[in-house]
Amino acid sequence: MLIALILIIPFASAPICYALGRKNPMSSCRAGVLVTALEFVLTLFLFQGDHSLSLPSLFPGGLSLQTDGFRAVYALVASFMWLCTSLFSLEYFRHEEKGLNRYILFVLITLGATEGVMLSSNYMATFLFFEILSFSSFTWVIHEETPGAVRAGYTYLFIAIIGGLVLFMGLILLVSDTGTLDYGELHQILQASPPGGRTLAAGICILLGFGAKAGMFPLHIWLPEAHPVAPSPASALLSGILTKVGIYGILMTALYPLAACPVFGAVIAVLGVITMALGALLALFSCNLKRTLACSSMSQIGFILTGISMYELLLSRGESEAAFMTLSGAMLHMLNHSIIKLVLFLASGVVVMNLHRLNLNDIWGYGRKGKPLFKLSFAIAALGISGVPAFNGYLSKTLLHEGLVEAAEVWGNYSLILKGAEWIFLISGGITFAYMLKLFICIFVERNSSQERQASFDSAPSYMNRISGTVIGLPALLVFILGTPFAAKTIGAYMSGSPAIGEFSPFTWNNLKGGLISLTIGGLIYLLIVRGLFMKGTQSTGKGGSVYCTGLSDALPPSLSGLARRFEGQKLLSYCGQFLFIIGVSLAKFLDRITHLTFLLTIASAFTKFICILPDAIIVLLRTTAVRERPVMGEKRNRTDHMKALLKDNTEAFRPVLMNFSFALMMTCVGILLILGALLILL
Amino acid sequence: MSFPFLLIIPIILPLVGATALLIRSPLPQKAINRYVEVIACINSLVVWYLLLSGQRGSYTLFSLVQDFSISFRIDGLSALFSGMISLMWPLALLYAFSYMGEDRRNKRFFSFYLASYGITMGLAFSANLITLYLFFEMLTLSTIPLISYYEDHESLYAGRVYAAYLIGGAALAFIPATFLTFLSGGGDFLYGGLFQSELPVFLSREIIDLLYLFSFFGFGVKAAVFPLSAWLPRASAAPTPVTALLHAVAVVNSGVFAVMRLTYYSFGPDLLKGSTSQTTALLFSIFTMVWAAVMAVKERHFKRRLAYSTVSNLSYMLFGISLMTEGGLLGGLSHLVFHGIIKMSLFLCAGIFMHCTGKEYIYEINGVGRRLPLTFAVYTIGALSLIGIPGFCGFVSKWALLTAGAEAGGTLPVLGAAALILTAFLCAIYTLTVSLRAFFPPLDKDHFCGQEVEKPQKAMLIPILVFAALNIFLGLFPRTIMPYLTDIAHGAL
Repeated sequence: MLIALILIIPFASAPICYALGRKNPMSSCRAGVLVTALEFVLTLFLFQGDHSLSLPSLFPGGLSLQTDGFRAVYALVASFMWLCTSLFSLEYFRHEEKGLNRYILFVLITLGATEGVMLSSNYMATFLFFEILSFSSFTWVIHEETPGAVRAGYTYLFIAIIGGLVLFMGLILLVSDTGTLDYGELHQILQASPPGGRTLAAGICILLGFGAKAGMFPLHIWLPEAHPVAPSPASALLSGILTKVGIYGILMTALYPLAACPVFGAVIAVLGVITMALGALLALFSCNLKRTLACSSMSQIGFILTGISMYELLLSRGESEAAFMTLSGAMLHMLNHSIIKLVLFLASGVVVMNLHRLNLNDIWGYGRKGKPLFKLSFAIAALGISGVPAFNGYLSKTLLHEGLVEAAEVWGNYSLILKGAEWIFLISGGITFAYMLKLFICIFVERNSSQERQASFDSAPSYMNRISGTVIGLPALLVFILGTPFAAKTIGAYMSGSPAIGEFSPFTWNNLKGGLISLTIGGLIYLLIVRGLFMKGTQSTGKGGSVYCTGLSDALPPSLSGLARRFEGQKLLSYCGQFLFIIGVSLAKFLDRITHLTFLLTIASAFTKFICILPDAIIVLLRTTAVRERPVMGEKRNRTDHMKALLKDNTEAFRPVLMNFSFALMMTCVGILLILGALLILL
Repeated sequence: MSFPFLLIIPIILPLVGATALLIRSPLPQKAINRYVEVIACINSLVVWYLLLSGQRGSYTLFSLVQDFSISFRIDGLSALFSGMISLMWPLALLYAFSYMGEDRRNKRFFSFYLASYGITMGLAFSANLITLYLFFEMLTLSTIPLISYYEDHESLYAGRVYAAYLIGGAALAFIPATFLTFLSGGGDFLYGGLFQSELPVFLSREIIDLLYLFSFFGFGVKAAVFPLSAWLPRASAAPTPVTALLHAVAVVNSGVFAVMRLTYYSFGPDLLKGSTSQTTALLFSIFTMVWAAVMAVKERHFKRRLAYSTVSNLSYMLFGISLMTEGGLLGGLSHLVFHGIIKMSLFLCAGIFMHCTGKEYIYEINGVGRRLPLTFAVYTIGALSLIGIPGFCGFVSKWALLTAGAEAGGTLPVLGAAALILTAFLCAIYTLTVSLRAFFPPLDKDHFCGQEVEKPQKAMLIPILVFAALNIFLGLFPRTIMPYLTDIAHGAL
């Protein structure tokens, strides 16, 4: 009953708010706040007793929803984030009311769908609500309708469709193998008889499908594009909760159908570690506030995925205590990341609202004077996500780290690989610290190179109203509270449903060591690389007169001569260190390029051309041999002209398609799918 | 009136009405509209009375020779097909009145439009192969004048191509039809096949395969299976009400319907399972799916793109049918119904776009969605449904088809399932790019095409809204119709 109410209220009120906003867009925003507040109160009641809702006749597989510790907490987190962002929207959208009621309409629909996913207890319900939110959140990305937003929106939409269809395929395979889609039943069936190749293939399809929304490598491409162009409250939700929706699906797959399946765990581990490292590197190189945060989200998703995979690996060796501790760590990291990203994206919203700019070189020194609440909240969130002891990120990251260490012990044969993964983990954690330091020092500590601009920053009378201040400050306070071991242990045990986390003691030397290594690496990276290589000094001004390179291509010297000049210029670094660094950067750049354009486009366009020329070739062949078309009256065409005309038509028709990145991407996925199909047949 | 006699009313009434309209002296447009709509509504009411009354029986109109008889009856499959068609026809007519406006050729147009209603009913109710064949040919002939309505070079040529393909195909199908009729003594449809007890001795495996392939491709011409599909995109030269109702639903679905009758009610799936003919049918339907979807992505003409999409979707049904399992038939049946609903709404939206802007190419759609919001919203719902997004009815039939494919096992069914997902990707490209262009044009303001847009008439909007509502309703509550379809697929009705 309660669950039904939670689902119905946002869906039903969305069109009403839309209609309200036709005359005065702000009133739809206010109505949206009321609805989210009501939703928040309702989700609080989820903690009283067990609720469930089952609608067996609604869909091919029937929908069923229920609550348990994890679901209840995440339903609450979702509604809390919605409440905060819609309160923030009141000020954020004050001067940009165009299309506001459409935005609110889809915000509420997505709220309902998100609650649906978070409470679902069979794949059908998860899938249905997952698809609804995929499509409704598309309008957030495209909200501002600038060319960049439209491009990002296309990418987002097509990735969402790819994800949905791959997921669909996975579910079909699963249901044809086991005959059910209910999490509990699947768990029982597959415990009794270990999963075969087909179930594993189904699991991997499901992993890729949900991974597309979570921002997992290789389907992360939409994430750094889409988050910066969306309005800030929407990017907070995209990053804080919609990526978690993808994680939810992966987590459910790891918990129920494919529990203790080492192969599945290994696949998640590989993808998770790549996501973690790649996201961190991209964030380090980024020069745009929101893009940095978006890449950082990607990296944190990698941390969570690594945690989930370690749970699988540990459980498959029977180490259930350590496994559940890691699981609690992964769940806690999800929670921490949601709340931290809420603070950070809303803070970036404050910057956008006042300056309408996001490039670090433009907003340099914005928070120096007269903005204590803003500064403090940002600092707490930054410390939290970097994993500084006494903040929440430290606890969850330490739990994940412990999982990695345990797994390396248990899986003796693979301990070298797992040790490597542990170091990547520590270095990624360090990079997290480095880029947060970069952001913080840039915005809050140093002065802008232009005196007038710095003066205008410092003298701005008011930068946000009380409501906005509260919704930024309150989650920051939560970050602080979640950093206490007592709170973390209680919530962690409640979410994972296992008391394993109780024996965890965060502040022993062994645990502190990991965190400190990570922070040291981070500090070094900041001092040596960020300040050393990414900052380009301008000759005219002295102190504070430097700018950050915009992006990776700017950081790398264009030619060898440039390389040599840089070697001379940077005397602090040893040649060896520089050499290694340049290789690292090139590698990262290469990876960036691979996942972004070159690689995909080449393969995809070749594939596309092939598949599209094929029918034409058949037609031309037929036309020139068997089925010759009768010439139109009065017109004479010989065979070669005819072929030329056909081919020209083909290229012209195809140019817009080849120029379209999303399409290229899609065709690549088609290729992947073909390979997958071939694999399925072989299995 | 006795029930068996009532059975031929829905067939005769539109034919008589159409003939009367055709030979009468010219009438004002309004009178024609009223006359046609009244006849179509009465006809639909009679059909629904027949279906809901629950009586089953057959009626033989006359016998030619001993085994050749023209007879009608209602069973589950025919009830489904006729029920679906009779729901759509009055709505499509309502749309057609506003679309066609006033023209001297309208009398001819509407009389043939009405006549094909009766003929489709005859096809649905036919009780044996010969009757099916007869109405199959009649349907082809009665729709040629509709394709060539505009009487320009393109549509005349399209009419010729149409006639050549379809009459040739039917001729091919005539061979197995006579064979089966003689061998089984009448050829009355029977679930599970005509030869359930024993095969006639001289029918060897090879002959059965050959006969089945003849009938698959012969009747499959209407279902636009690969080498014989060129007529369908060409036929979009016809006015939109024809393209929507006939070439997305009635004509093409009667092809699928005939293949179903042949496969499950004449040859019998047990006889065909595992044979060369099944492999061939599967191969051709899988290839057609992918090929047509790729062609649709390439196509820049709005209606032709949708026509290619129809080709692709018809092959989903043929794929389901040629799995030769009950699940496959269920998938084919559900896609028959749901694809009909979806494609109707897509074509009608395309028609509104063409009618209100006078344009017909995809690149001319940029920004038009802002001027025709309702039309393109309905279009988007249809597009999402066609891709197979849960919550819309297309998902339900895709689910049924894919489960059938995965459960059938073996190389080709799984390959077919993969091809289905692949074409769903392609479908997302060729349908959603249209709505994205309409609402969020990718180019700058110079390319905005929404300047001169008329307001669509209400009579055109009502049908598309009905179809969109059906689309969502059946997507959310598939249990309203799926048990019935399952019964048909199991031969219980």
